[in-house]
Amino acid sequence: MLYLFLTFVVLLLMVTGTRGLTLLFGLGINIVSVIALLILIADGFNVLITTGIIAMVILVVAIYMNVDNANTANTAFKTSLIIMLVILLITIPLEFWASAQGMGIENQDELEGFSLAAGLSYPELAISIIVINSLGVISETSVAITSGLNEIVENKPTLTPQEIFDDGFSVGNKILNTQTNTLLFNFFATTFPLFFVIHSLGYKFSEILNDKLVVSEVLTTLICTIGVILTVPITSYLVYRKANKKI
Amino acid sequence: MKKNIKILLIVGMMIAIFNGFTYFDSFMYHDPIVKVETVRNLQKSTSTDEYKNTDTQITQLVTGKLINTDKRGKRVKFKNTYYRSQLIDTKYSMGQQVILTKNYSPKNVKRDTSIVFTLGLVVFLLYCMKFDRRKLFISILINVVIYYGYISVIIRTHNSVLLPLAVITALLISATALLVILGPTYPALMAYSSTVLATTTALLLSTFVLSLSGYSGIHLELNDFELQPYLSVFLSQVIFSVLGVILDETMDISSSLIEMKKELSDVAENTLFKSGINIGRELIGPLINILLFIVIAENLNVVLLYLSNGNSIGYTMNMTLSLGIAQLLISAIGIVLTVPITSFIASRVITRRMK
Repeated sequence: MLYLFLTFVVLLLMVTGTRGLTLLFGLGINIVSVIALLILIADGFNVLITTGIIAMVILVVAIYMNVDNANTANTAFKTSLIIMLVILLITIPLEFWASAQGMGIENQDELEGFSLAAGLSYPELAISIIVINSLGVISETSVAITSGLNEIVENKPTLTPQEIFDDGFSVGNKILNTQTNTLLFNFFATTFPLFFVIHSLGYKFSEILNDKLVVSEVLTTLICTIGVILTVPITSYLVYRKANKKI
Repeated sequence: MKKNIKILLIVGMMIAIFNGFTYFDSFMYHDPIVKVETVRNLQKSTSTDEYKNTDTQITQLVTGKLINTDKRGKRVKFKNTYYRSQLIDTKYSMGQQVILTKNYSPKNVKRDTSIVFTLGLVVFLLYCMKFDRRKLFISILINVVIYYGYISVIIRTHNSVLLPLAVITALLISATALLVILGPTYPALMAYSSTVLATTTALLLSTFVLSLSGYSGIHLELNDFELQPYLSVFLSQVIFSVLGVILDETMDISSSLIEMKKELSDVAENTLFKSGINIGRELIGPLINILLFIVIAENLNVVLLYLSNGNSIGYTMNMTLSLGIAQLLISAIGIVLTVPITSFIASRVITRRMK
């Protein structure tokens, strides 16, 4: 593991030079924030509030440390915050409805010997899982769309709001495609062992469709996709408002 | 504009009908399904376990009406015991549809409506906006079909050829994604070859480095569901999860280089290569972040289970996150390697082929 880490660091520094140090620093902060999140939740702090605060810290680091242009960073940060709120608003009722929290019967072997009275709310944790899952994708999408749009607006300051939205969608189209691919392939990566186990348990189709673990994976992927989709109009709107103010 | 609203209405209607269908589809189930009408708490006992976790165990008496089978309309009662934390048990609440076993004890919550609803929401949002939906739907559909084929083959061969199959699947799904987004063009071929080369190099290098230390510190046997053969399962997961990100990266770099060549037609190969590295440098951080948060989120349940059972943070990380971190590191190596590999291939191909 240590060797693997060293290989990564050496390659990173070779390719990116001194910029790699900033990158490693950013990653380090993110990992520390995540560990803080784990410890706080395990110590009994409210899951949703803790997640919200840590997610904000993570977004600040992910956006402001990777983007040099302050204008782009501000818009992207605002967008990500709005999207995070929207995701929370969608996820809370959905998770309550689907009750796809915690672990399933498929995990039984893993759970042996554990005290299951954990004293923390797994339904809330399920919401927090979806929010954390979306952080990277959301920040990347908003940065990519904002910087693409800002470049267009700066070159042609006379754009009408309609044109800004149209440009937003033409930039957004490609990003939407690649981000759904990322989400979909990650869904493949996590679920193929699950489907294999489900097969060996002899589930019927209806049982797979209602299975807790399958449903929670599908919901995670779909809700993250909703976040990516909504990033496009929200970014376009924010960029348009900013361009309007200048005139 | 009017036409848009019409399409939206049609799509919205279809989604609503589909949702309604899954809400009332209980007649297709063999198991009895009950719609919960009242819930009464019978017993509550709060206990503190040896790790000082306080949790409440609640027994509820659930009554509801059967909504399928030939006993339809009959009122049934059952008891359900759960912990307030609901790690593996579930609290039932009013209005929920619950699947029962033949002798009316609770088996599972009916969740199909929530999935279909969310899927409908995604489709509806896509139709609300001016996205190129056709391409997106085609690529997702083809990829899901390929994935389905992959699953059925690994099931039939009992995992014996898992890794080669995963490689073939990865080659197919990335080809589909690229062909749909870029079409059968030079840029697509360029991006494809860089993706394959970068992923392969990263995997070979990482397995070599890992084998130097004899895989110490990595608990391959602790993968989800302890599926065998451990190494193949692990590597297949790495391949799938990093693929999307690397595709994103190569497409970004090569399309920017093509733009550059269009603007400066006499640009030298070396200049192209250098600006490729410059563009790629900016992409590495955000892309690693994407995978970092996905990996953490995936393991959050287990991590907290370990922590609440009195394990130290070090032991917990070692047992639950070591695989994820190894996966992340291999992916990160792939993401870093993609930058010079794509820049090299793109700068060569562009100066030779695009005159």
